[in-house]
Amino acid sequence: MFDSSAHANPTRNRNRLQLALYLAFCVAIFAVPLFIDDDFLLNRYARYLVLGMVAMALSLSWGYAGILNLGQALSFGLGSYAMAMTLKLKTVPIHTGPDGLPDFMVWNNVETLPWFWVPYQSTAFAIFAGVAVPWALAAILGWFMFRGRITGVFVAIITLAILVVANLLVIDQQRYTGGFNGITDLAQLEILGLEFDAYSKSTYFLVASCLSVCLLGALAITRSKAGLIFQAIRDQEERVRFFGYDVAAYKIMAMSISAAIAGLAGMLYTVVMEFASPTFMDVPLSLSIVIWCAVGGRQSLLGATIGAIVVAGMQGALSESETFLDTWMLVMGLIFVLVVLFLPNGLAGLLDMAGRRLMRRPGALAGGPAPAKGLSGQKAKDQT
Amino acid sequence: MDFLLQNVLTGLSIGSILLLIALGLAIIYGSMGVINMAHGEFVMLGAYGTWALNAFFGMGLLSSLVVVFFGVGLLGWLVERGVIQFLYRRPLDTILATWGIGVMLQQIVRLTVGGELRYVEMPHALTGTISILGTEISSYRVFVFVFVVALFLLTWYLMNRTRFGMQLRAVVQNSEMSACFGIDPKRIYGLTFAYGAGLAGLAGALVAPLKSVSPEMGTSYVIDAFFVVVLGGVQSIFGTVASAFLLGEATGTLGFLWNDTIAKALVLVGIIVLIRFRPQGLFVSKVRG
Repeated sequence: MFDSSAHANPTRNRNRLQLALYLAFCVAIFAVPLFIDDDFLLNRYARYLVLGMVAMALSLSWGYAGILNLGQALSFGLGSYAMAMTLKLKTVPIHTGPDGLPDFMVWNNVETLPWFWVPYQSTAFAIFAGVAVPWALAAILGWFMFRGRITGVFVAIITLAILVVANLLVIDQQRYTGGFNGITDLAQLEILGLEFDAYSKSTYFLVASCLSVCLLGALAITRSKAGLIFQAIRDQEERVRFFGYDVAAYKIMAMSISAAIAGLAGMLYTVVMEFASPTFMDVPLSLSIVIWCAVGGRQSLLGATIGAIVVAGMQGALSESETFLDTWMLVMGLIFVLVVLFLPNGLAGLLDMAGRRLMRRPGALAGGPAPAKGLSGQKAKDQT
Repeated sequence: MDFLLQNVLTGLSIGSILLLIALGLAIIYGSMGVINMAHGEFVMLGAYGTWALNAFFGMGLLSSLVVVFFGVGLLGWLVERGVIQFLYRRPLDTILATWGIGVMLQQIVRLTVGGELRYVEMPHALTGTISILGTEISSYRVFVFVFVVALFLLTWYLMNRTRFGMQLRAVVQNSEMSACFGIDPKRIYGLTFAYGAGLAGLAGALVAPLKSVSPEMGTSYVIDAFFVVVLGGVQSIFGTVASAFLLGEATGTLGFLWNDTIAKALVLVGIIVLIRFRPQGLFVSKVRG
């Protein structure tokens, strides 16, 4: 029924198809500025790409390692604040108080720069911290939870609670964080003489490059031995432990890599949005990330990315009117419930299933794309 | 000495509200293993129900309690029948589905009633203060405390001394076996969820005069209530009571020493650490990783 080459190495064919899809996506996002010459629109698309990146990070920990991190927005927010802090310190003296104090600190009667702000005078340090702080925090939290063999719903609730605590503290410590208003009036990011204006192609390309590198990097991780063990842990944690693997170490690894990517996304978000706000690390954003990931397909990095881009994009298009936005959130809630009930693997899972159905009908076989044969051949074999 | 007493009373008041909200969650989580993230929205609906009954029908707080209990309970029953019954084997997905339901409820309220703050008046008889050992305390807070204790005793009676309670405990222990004895597990689960939701509605109604009523008021309650339940030990209602008042006292005292936000943050972190090192309260056996 299937030609022999498809049988020979179905997994390899499947992997090739997957890689081709991922590469096509990367090429596509780089090609966007060729067709759109509107800086305002490019800024918007850059924003969606950043959101795609953070959803992809969640897919890595949730879809692959089974760690439902409801506090994903915390890593994102930490990255965002790291970038905002350094860009705030770079602003021209008009915007800052005497001795380079950020304006909101002057308004709050802070007299010297707090010690934890001092290193952010270096942009290099800030970029390092924007990734390292979320990474370290996730590693510590992971160590704390997974060494105690806390699993499933408790992980979800604990990560959510940590997010709530962090959000409360950031809003409460107005003197040091800008409180409810966040950190606004930022300078432009400048790396090695390159200026990244939020409304320019350079920022779009920066975001697109980071997303591509992270997406392909994450794909490489999922294909490595560690990636296989992540998936094994997701499916049967006990069995992996009996095989002698250090389950906690792998989970900590998955969660901290995911947090580092989210931190990077957060930094880019500040560059694109030109401010940082406590809403970048609040519960509604975390919920949105989970929804994007679930709708796009939690077990597909690309699916989660595209899910975020499409859903956030539609939301952006509707956000002109308050009523539209509220209705949209209602529809989103409904879609989310339906996806959880009927499509646990999201749209990516649906496509996969549709492809398989199509392949199972002998007549449709010839019409299908060639590399997909390997995939369906393997599945068909599994089912017999 | 006055200070101390004032603190204890504040703690008791916070604790009674915590217990009120956690009681419904304890029933649902303790017996069904479902983390109902829409619980906060049930609380919110209870508050809005009280406001609507007051604004449109002129009903007082006390008389609307019954309506709110059955109204929110019915909604809870619908949610269980419509969504949750399909997810008993996927605990992580129940979190997501109920979270989605919570978002929908919030948006429905925002679209129909509007996002602005609403206020519910206290019953006139309870607006004064009562003096306890020389410390003045609002009589409404005393009323809430007494009401919660009564509600708790009623729940305990329902679970341990009635036919329904016995059936529920049987279903929790072994639903197939109890089905063989003629108990319909679906009916029991549906009613239990409805009862838990109804309690959340009551909580909302009673909280309404103390806080302003808004569509997002419920969000923060779920996490607090969930931790009260876990800290107390999942299947012990008495544990829930103890931990509610313990957390109430802790929040009150820390809030007195620093401020409310720091107090809340410290208490949450404290509970997380406690759960990690005292997992007796944890209920991992029903959970898939």
